[in-house]
Amino acid sequence: MKALSIRRTVLGLTAASAALALTACGGNVGGAASDGGEFPAGPITLTVGQAPGGSTDLIARTAAEGMADELGVAVPVVNKPGANGALATQEVAAMEPDGQNLVLLNASLITITPLAVSEEEAVTLDDLEVIKGLSQDDYVLVASADSGFENLDDIKNSSKKLTFGTTGVGTGSQLSQAILFAQAEIKGTAVPFDSGSPALTAVMGNQVQLATIQLGEAKPQIDAGTVKPIVVFSDERNTFLPDVPTAIEEGYEVPVSQYRALAAPKGLPADVKEKLVASVEAAQATDTYKAFNEKNMLTPKEISGEEVVQQWNDLAAKYKELTEKYDISLAGE
Amino acid sequence: MDFLQPVIDGFGVVLMPSNLLYCLLGVVIGMLIGVLPGLGPAATIAILLPLTYGIEPVTAIIMLAGIFYGAQYGGTITSVLLRLPGEASSVVTVFDGYQLARKGKAGTALGIAAIGSFIGGTVAIIGLTFLAPLVASFALDFGPPEYAALALVGILLVATISNGAKIKALIAAAFGLLLATVGRDVFTGAERFTFGNLSLADGIDFVPVAMGLFGVGEILYNLEERHRVAQAPATVANVWPSRKDLKQSAGAIGRGSVLGFFLGILPGGGATISSLAAYAVEKKRAKNPERFGKGAVEGVAGPETANNAAATSSFIPLLTLGIPANATMAIIFGALLIQGVTPGPQLMVDNPDLFWGVVNSMYIGNILLLIMSIPLVGLFVRILRVRAAILAPITALITLLGAYTIRNSMFDVLLVVLFGAVGYLMKKFGFEPGPLVLAFVLGALLESSLRRSLLVLDGDVAGFMGRPISATLLVVFVLVAVWPMVKSAMDRRKNSLTSSPTTSKENV
Repeated sequence: MKALSIRRTVLGLTAASAALALTACGGNVGGAASDGGEFPAGPITLTVGQAPGGSTDLIARTAAEGMADELGVAVPVVNKPGANGALATQEVAAMEPDGQNLVLLNASLITITPLAVSEEEAVTLDDLEVIKGLSQDDYVLVASADSGFENLDDIKNSSKKLTFGTTGVGTGSQLSQAILFAQAEIKGTAVPFDSGSPALTAVMGNQVQLATIQLGEAKPQIDAGTVKPIVVFSDERNTFLPDVPTAIEEGYEVPVSQYRALAAPKGLPADVKEKLVASVEAAQATDTYKAFNEKNMLTPKEISGEEVVQQWNDLAAKYKELTEKYDISLAGE
Repeated sequence: MDFLQPVIDGFGVVLMPSNLLYCLLGVVIGMLIGVLPGLGPAATIAILLPLTYGIEPVTAIIMLAGIFYGAQYGGTITSVLLRLPGEASSVVTVFDGYQLARKGKAGTALGIAAIGSFIGGTVAIIGLTFLAPLVASFALDFGPPEYAALALVGILLVATISNGAKIKALIAAAFGLLLATVGRDVFTGAERFTFGNLSLADGIDFVPVAMGLFGVGEILYNLEERHRVAQAPATVANVWPSRKDLKQSAGAIGRGSVLGFFLGILPGGGATISSLAAYAVEKKRAKNPERFGKGAVEGVAGPETANNAAATSSFIPLLTLGIPANATMAIIFGALLIQGVTPGPQLMVDNPDLFWGVVNSMYIGNILLLIMSIPLVGLFVRILRVRAAILAPITALITLLGAYTIRNSMFDVLLVVLFGAVGYLMKKFGFEPGPLVLAFVLGALLESSLRRSLLVLDGDVAGFMGRPISATLLVVFVLVAVWPMVKSAMDRRKNSLTSSPTTSKENV
């Protein structure tokens, strides 16, 4: 019964906030926030472009919990999976900028996916107001135990025909491996899987010799010794894998991580944005949120919205430059 | 005794009152959400996850596991009564389950399904208890070529299980395969048949297709029928499976348990193929296979047992290897991490209390589900006494609501309506929706596995025969595909041999 009533509440809240957004569009009907009334005017919907249960969704739910306590209204998380999150992002970007509707952004959607899809599908930050950066999720290159690879040199010196798993087209997993192997002149065939878990399973069974996976997913298998970590793709060593070198240390220019941030439609009133930023910061200061990051091996990256925009746009330009330089195409090879 | 000690300690963990309570809570929630099509266990567990932060890890996982296998029980109810399969693994249950319900034997179908589910679940738990470490590597041996071969066998089974005209079943299946290609190509990112619509970028979800074709299509068709002949609501005769039904289903339940247990270990598609295979096996073994699709009790018993056994054995890769086999397992994996427990090869050694507590809770959960099902079967079959004029709109409402909850998107609701119209037309022109839906599910698996295999095998098709499991599956495929032709050729020869003397006599 609990499940049902919770679900209904979520549905009800969504409907309510949708109704609010509609009235706001229609002018000065009702008491929506944009009428200069109090913010928040009722529940704030946080839309997630991924299915429930994944790391993006869990981050959203944990942040929403802290924000709800701070703002004194419910912050229901609504999942609208589709097109790597492009669907949800475009939908929220088109809503009224009253602060009642937020979206959780994955950096890869802005920085990497545009390299793999057509221009009209690509999502930019232009229609969004970024509220606050959340965290950084690192990618780690792992090798199967049967391959015998211990480090990057083993892979470079291997005469075998290599296959490497990616977590899909237009993901950081694909990009990081493509750039690294191009720079290190390693020959191999990319095999896209639907997500991290099947790619990791394929490495464990030596169906592919290598794969790049998000650290949180790969860590249990690294600890168990079923897969061997080779490099991480972050700028600096990851605190959860202090003994594993970064690709940059090994002499390759591959700065790829997954970043996440909260955003609202463009044109948010300054006072509303201030309140939202304060609520996210309050959520980030809670022990629950900190413990959550720790357990999911997420590195806090709690930078301001402006810094997020700067960083992501820089990364997008960087990736574009690197793929052009090494003649890498993420869309089919 | 060394092995059994932690198992027995695990029972000690389960029998603590709080754990029993959460187990009960889990299976009740699971059963209820199973009844609602669309809202699956994965979404429910994700929503309830924050509530488990404050409780003991073992208690939390016992509850979440209960939701998962409880939902398998609940899913049967709508498949049988309303022709609404909530997930791919219960599509085949609809074929005979709904026909039984129309004959007033809904109670038989539900009762058999509950008993089969209980036995299938329990057999799989026993398998999990004793064989888990041995069979776990099976999941790792399954690479892309093995999945491709398995999906191929599955699609062949779709063709053999269809009832009625073979050619119409093939047309429907081909349409299903075509639908599976909609969406962004996962290998190149290219758009296929999406017409620039982002809502189609990930392809079409199973739920709107199944809900529309089966549920809404049936409602529309019945509405038309009612205008011609006044139809009395289905009578609800014998609520319980008779001794004859039980005897008839015993073999199906046994075979379903074994099939479900082994195929369920495979991440992705295992449960669906196991229910499909169970149905095909029963139909092949039956003395008069023409009963299937018209209300054969084994046609419910086999697949329902298999999908429950598969649901249980899908815990094996999670608990022993740390691989989540499906979306629900991925969330339970996350729940374990949040609780500070790392699922993986070390789990059984590091946390025997948790491992055996969870495994043993499933014995209890299955018993609880069986006990709950018995009075509920009597209650649920009464739904059929509701007049169609009232029941049909309610069913339509549940269907649309269910479709909405998958992605919180109106687009999926429109899809249900569209597929409802298609389903109505199909029924009117004598096409079965079953082959379409199953081919749709397996088509996606076949395409991605085949293309992935060719990448792994470096384009060498012969590589399929170089791997023992895929080679075996392909041999099975050829045998199953060719055997009926050989057999009918032999029959024809025999007939011509026996008939030729008579004709020659006539000539004389």
